[in-house]
Amino acid sequence: MKRLDVQGFKDLANQLRFSLSDEEANDIKNEFDVLIDQMDLLNKIDTEGVEPMVYPFDEETSFLREDVAIQVLPVQEVLKNAPKEKNGFFVTQKVVG
Amino acid sequence: MNYETVIGIEIHCELKTKSKMFSGAPVAVNMQPNTCVNEIDLGHPGVLPSLNKEAVRLSVLACSALNLKINPVVRFDRKNYYYSDLPKGFQITQQFHPIGEHGYIDLELEEGTKRIRINRLHMEEDTAKQYHADDETWIDFNRAGTPLIEIVSEADIRSAKEAMAYVEKLRNILVYLDVTDGKMEEGSLRCDINISLREVGTEAFGVKTEVKNLNSISNIERAIQAEVERQSALLNAGDVVEQATRRYDDGTKTTILMRKKEGTVDYKYFPEPNIPPIRLDQKWIESIQTSMPELPDVRHARYIGLGLSDYDAQVLISNKALSDFFDKLLKHTSYVKLAANYCISDLLANISQKELHDESYALKIEEMGQLITGLGKQDISSKQAKDIFVELLKGKDYQATIKELNIEQVSDTSVLSALIESVLAENEQSIIDYHNGKDRALGFLMGQIMKKSKGQANPALTNKLLLEELMKRKA
Amino acid sequence: MDITKLKEMKSVQERVDEAVNKSHAYQADLNAMVSFIDPSEQIENLKHIDPQAPFYGVPVVLKDLVNMKGTVTTGSSGILENYVSPYDATITEKLRAAGAIIIGKSSCDTFGMGGTNMTAWTGPVMNPYDLTRMSGGSSGGSAVLVASGVVPMAIGTDTGDSIRKPASYNNIVGLKPTYGRISRYGVIPYASSLDHVGVFTRNVKDAALSLEVLAGRDDKDMTSSQLPVEAYAKLLNSDLEGKRIGIIQNVIDAIQNRETLNLFKDLCDQLTAKGALVQSIHLDEKLMHAFLPTYYIIANAEATANHANLDGLRFGVLHEGNSMEESMIRSRTAGFGKLLKKRFVIGSYALFTENQEEVFRKAQKVRRLIVEDLKRVLCEVDVVIAPASAQGAPKFDDVSIDQLSSEYLIAENYMALANFSGYPSITVPMGYVDGLPVGVNLTSAAFTEQLLLNVALAVEESTGIKDMIKEPKR
Ligand SMILES: [Mg+2]
Ligand SMILES: [Zn+2]
Repeated sequence: MKRLDVQGFKDLANQLRFSLSDEEANDIKNEFDVLIDQMDLLNKIDTEGVEPMVYPFDEETSFLREDVAIQVLPVQEVLKNAPKEKNGFFVTQKVVG
Repeated sequence: MNYETVIGIEIHCELKTKSKMFSGAPVAVNMQPNTCVNEIDLGHPGVLPSLNKEAVRLSVLACSALNLKINPVVRFDRKNYYYSDLPKGFQITQQFHPIGEHGYIDLELEEGTKRIRINRLHMEEDTAKQYHADDETWIDFNRAGTPLIEIVSEADIRSAKEAMAYVEKLRNILVYLDVTDGKMEEGSLRCDINISLREVGTEAFGVKTEVKNLNSISNIERAIQAEVERQSALLNAGDVVEQATRRYDDGTKTTILMRKKEGTVDYKYFPEPNIPPIRLDQKWIESIQTSMPELPDVRHARYIGLGLSDYDAQVLISNKALSDFFDKLLKHTSYVKLAANYCISDLLANISQKELHDESYALKIEEMGQLITGLGKQDISSKQAKDIFVELLKGKDYQATIKELNIEQVSDTSVLSALIESVLAENEQSIIDYHNGKDRALGFLMGQIMKKSKGQANPALTNKLLLEELMKRKA
Repeated sequence: MDITKLKEMKSVQERVDEAVNKSHAYQADLNAMVSFIDPSEQIENLKHIDPQAPFYGVPVVLKDLVNMKGTVTTGSSGILENYVSPYDATITEKLRAAGAIIIGKSSCDTFGMGGTNMTAWTGPVMNPYDLTRMSGGSSGGSAVLVASGVVPMAIGTDTGDSIRKPASYNNIVGLKPTYGRISRYGVIPYASSLDHVGVFTRNVKDAALSLEVLAGRDDKDMTSSQLPVEAYAKLLNSDLEGKRIGIIQNVIDAIQNRETLNLFKDLCDQLTAKGALVQSIHLDEKLMHAFLPTYYIIANAEATANHANLDGLRFGVLHEGNSMEESMIRSRTAGFGKLLKKRFVIGSYALFTENQEEVFRKAQKVRRLIVEDLKRVLCEVDVVIAPASAQGAPKFDDVSIDQLSSEYLIAENYMALANFSGYPSITVPMGYVDGLPVGVNLTSAAFTEQLLLNVALAVEESTGIKDMIKEPKR
């Protein structure tokens, strides 16, 4: 596992669309060090030929939803939580890029 | 330097379903903003996806028509990125296990048939639509969650012309399958084109650029031309092409840089934990395949079998609505060639593509069938047919129109015989010519008779009487 | 007093009033509620419900991750402080159809991401047995509301042990059924492949009754099971004759506290006396040491993506910037606590293409090995058993935890077994250690809830600890 410095964690956070204070970034760096030690416990386990487990159960399913349009929200409900709204549209500051 | 153009195409195609890919909200176009959404399309906290059966059926249909190998276990993955048109902060797509892989379509080009390989077809969901004002962006989530298929070709395409042929053929197939309405100008079919150049005779690919969101076949041609020009100018000047995403600007007929590829986002794809693998029933897949609508190539062959020319057949099948009309017309007349002519020229000149598509025209197909038959049997002349057609377009009936326009034919044998008598008297040389085997003489005589009758002589009956009269005179 | 008896003893109005009054009265001491819901409309609606319905007029509480149309659902976060659900979670619909009266939303670690309930946006939740101690988390609010007698049942969610650990600290029953047994639709996620919805009650019978109401296939949750729901409460039977119970010896070996071990031994002796075949089983120790990192990586990787929808653009608290991107950043920065940011950063690290094989997929592979190991053991025994915690609830300022010690890595984290595997798991009160309650945990194979509840009932009868109510006192 590649270790990151404080700035590295700040950059990573930025990709996740939030920023970190110096204290927060430091805190993460420390926790990350513990995790790296714990990762060693994980790396001691031989997983050669083991399939990653994505779901608790391996059984395949067969259900597909019928194509009927029955679940629609009234527009007032759609916009009720909108922090900014105009003429039925959600509004945000201009998208750059 | 001499360069070869290398092109790969990604097509996003909206599926014709009633509800969305993962929610029971309606798929609707041209509706008031945010009126066709629910909590799932808006990415509200706590929602889960539920996969649309019809979207899977249409995808299976598309895979079958494009010769793709169908993966019977459907799986989905998350593509993670942050953008205001992406409500969940990830798109549910099929990165690792597309429903279809390794297919192809064959293009009929002037220089012969060319096979374009298709790398994959996968299912995913559409994003919201954004409208950019001066300092604000307005977002309508109606489109969010609309079922999409993405079809990715191999880099087998070598020119703008091939690219156009590929997209046109693909679109035509998907429209025939009723998988999509295929309207590029409305965004239901969108093209991203990867273009690179390499020196003729070399193997390695050059650096490619991606031109995004082309919304018409002609723009595909122009964008490729512009990008090829731009890249070859760079290469000729000893510069390098930078890997980037560009867009085509119709105003300046150039491509414009959107973003460079370096430092590109990591989408951190991983399997979607809320959708377990779904095994498609083999019988279901087979039933979808056996009930597949007639594909354009098959229809083309059928038309050739009916005696149409390759050109006529091409024109008809390239327009599914027109071709469907033609097929319906054939239920009411057996004059195939005439019917095709009428569809290709007269019908197209008078009915808009939209009317044809929505069947919102007044014209009654069975009445048009009578018209074609009347023309075929020469009950009416082609001039009369055109006049009648104008009325049929308004929704009138064939027989009523004939009466109304007073173009009831002269079918009275004595009147016709008199006409024939007088024409033959004036054209003795033509009688001799006819008996000497000059076929043209017969046509000439018919023309003279029609002229004399002001076009009202029943052509079929007149022809019959004229031949009888000529036989008599031979003896 | 169980729910059936409660319905006989008190009128709807009485029981709802009592719950509402207590929830307000205890708020200063417990800080368990995030929001209160006026029950009058729901009571009015009861006229459309069969009075025989299992939860007819019974006051309950939802963990603040559960959507209920028209109510505030914050996930105990800042960014959703003002979020009003436009829709019902499937379990909300089911509860209401069963006649339940939802009186409010309970505090939890933000989005269920924690084990202390100290990260809730509204502050920590106090343990009614000792107000200087934590409730446990993440479903801490629900746990203490049941423990203090406010409601007989509260909804919790469990991603690592978030129902079963607080149940242990609060002397109540905490049930997490099989993955897919209860729909997750409308419940704010932590980690989709590990999340379970479950319940807190004061006795096993109520847990069985609650499961009957909540379980069942939901087409809105593609991971929910098609298997029919059993009449768990009616079929409850504490007969242990021939039941094979496996003590997870690794956990026992890791626990230092003699009192806890003695309690556990006494319990096992009693179960043996009742005819159970109690034996020791061993899980792979190396795998057990890897539980925590395995859990941490999978849970936080999934969580990072699950919460990418929180951007202040469509709902939630917006902190506007000069561009869409800046607005997103400001809203998320202001609305996430530092613990959340930490987990998102680490989860995202695990998902990066260059790390994914080595970190995320490695954890997923180890998860499979862990589950196979549990499956192996559950071929030999019907249920596995161990103390749900090594001691009672920690003090708020307890910093003595060594995160690499066996006691911490194994004894305090082993219950994630049931999340990795999706198997049903239940915590039942076991006794008192240093005057604080400690529970015992049982886990069985997928969809064997009836068996699990039956053995749990036998445990309850052995300890005699049921229907405990602890009013908070300073
Ligand atoms: Mg693409
Ligand atoms: Zn795509």
